[in-house]
Amino acid sequence: MTDPVRDEWYPVSLVSQLHHAARDTQLLGEPIRVTLRDGQPLVTASGRALPSQARYGHVWTSLGTPARPLFDIPEADQPGRRLVDVGLVRVKCSPLRAVENFLDIAHFPFVHTDILGAEPHTEVGRYDVAIRDEVDEVWATKVRFYQPQAAKSAEGGITTEYMYRVPAPTVSILYKTCPPRPGEWDVITLFVQPLTETLCEVWPWMALFDDVTPLTDLIHFQQTIFLQDRSILENQQPSLLPLDPGMEIPTRADLTSVAYRRWLKRRGYTYGAQLVAA
Amino acid sequence: MTAAWTPVALVRDVPPLCVMPACVDGVELALWRSATGRLAAWADRCPHRGMRLSHGFVRGEALSCIYHGWSYGSDGHCLRIPAHPDLEPPEAIRVPVYHAVESGGVVWVATEAPDVPPPTVEGSPLRSLTVEGAVDWAAAGFSLSGPVARGHLSGIGVTILVQPLPNGRQVLHALAEAATPAALKEASRDLEALRRQAEEALA
Repeated sequence: MTDPVRDEWYPVSLVSQLHHAARDTQLLGEPIRVTLRDGQPLVTASGRALPSQARYGHVWTSLGTPARPLFDIPEADQPGRRLVDVGLVRVKCSPLRAVENFLDIAHFPFVHTDILGAEPHTEVGRYDVAIRDEVDEVWATKVRFYQPQAAKSAEGGITTEYMYRVPAPTVSILYKTCPPRPGEWDVITLFVQPLTETLCEVWPWMALFDDVTPLTDLIHFQQTIFLQDRSILENQQPSLLPLDPGMEIPTRADLTSVAYRRWLKRRGYTYGAQLVAA
Repeated sequence: MTAAWTPVALVRDVPPLCVMPACVDGVELALWRSATGRLAAWADRCPHRGMRLSHGFVRGEALSCIYHGWSYGSDGHCLRIPAHPDLEPPEAIRVPVYHAVESGGVVWVATEAPDVPPPTVEGSPLRSLTVEGAVDWAAAGFSLSGPVARGHLSGIGVTILVQPLPNGRQVLHALAEAATPAALKEASRDLEALRRQAEEALA
């Protein structure tokens, strides 16, 4: 029998952090242990070996039987990109709220003031959102927003273009204008490990065209952004993401969130979510 | 439950342009004051994405949510959605508004309109302080009537207003009769001693 929650692949560690010590952590409320054996990841739950693989700097595992391979990020293998392990931020919120926040641009001027947005540039123009049935992913395209400092490598304000992709319930991938390399997209991902329905660890990861910025600065930039987001995520009520309309009021700027919630409901992915009937 | 006023803050602790969390009858509130001094107690939740409004900011006569900047006017209805500056927000986007009054240097809030005004209290603001557990008012020589406890600390007449919180916690808002600064400091320390006794009794 398939299980829409347990059969997913989840990030549970950075590969680079396993060389010295095992990581004892949790997945969907179950204790797990992540180690390397002969250079390969080994994940166990109560002594049982779980499916596991190393990809995009992280160890991925599943408590069930994954029906599909891990999603593909073709840019990860593109020559010239710098792959950045950012680390983790623990957030007391639903893993789905963390993903939804990552898909949102309208909060930039208020939460990431003078970095990713600034008043009076608050308007969110029309963009396209679709649930792509052939790949079963949510995509938002033609998203544009004015940013005072879009990336560590950006000097001064620019209008940045974005694409958002949700290839799995607790993963989001952001493609954004790459200032030093017009025509290419910088890739910034949000891999979310659900510890419980209301506690998660967020693993940002990047594949950038940027040979200049020191690693420390790249990591600090992302940590600053995610710590600002955390102050929001830990103060939303209810803490579970409402999948049915009625509890919250979306506008046109929230179309990605609307599609994400609909897509979760259609897949029966309810871990960290609440239904009106519940 | 009969409608009643609950003390939530000393007036001097809620200056213009300030917003803070409060709790009355188990309802979480955002207590705030506009630039011109208008006081309001609202549900502590932005209807857009459920963010606490007590984390928001006050500009002029409006309270804005810190998440997406949605701003709400004095009657609780949405004035502006920054993501759509040209949109007139629908009437239906509204934050529940509760009753808030100032009387005797204290802010009082009620979730349902009471028939009577808040109790009359005397004295100048001393301080507010949160206590885990219940104070034994009789043992401290205080008489308790509704949310109002009257007695003496360091020989100074004080009125203490009790704001119950969930999980057995409470906030004490203390007012004191006129006294020297040194005597008021002593009274304040005695209030801390009351808290310590209550919390040690709990442990």
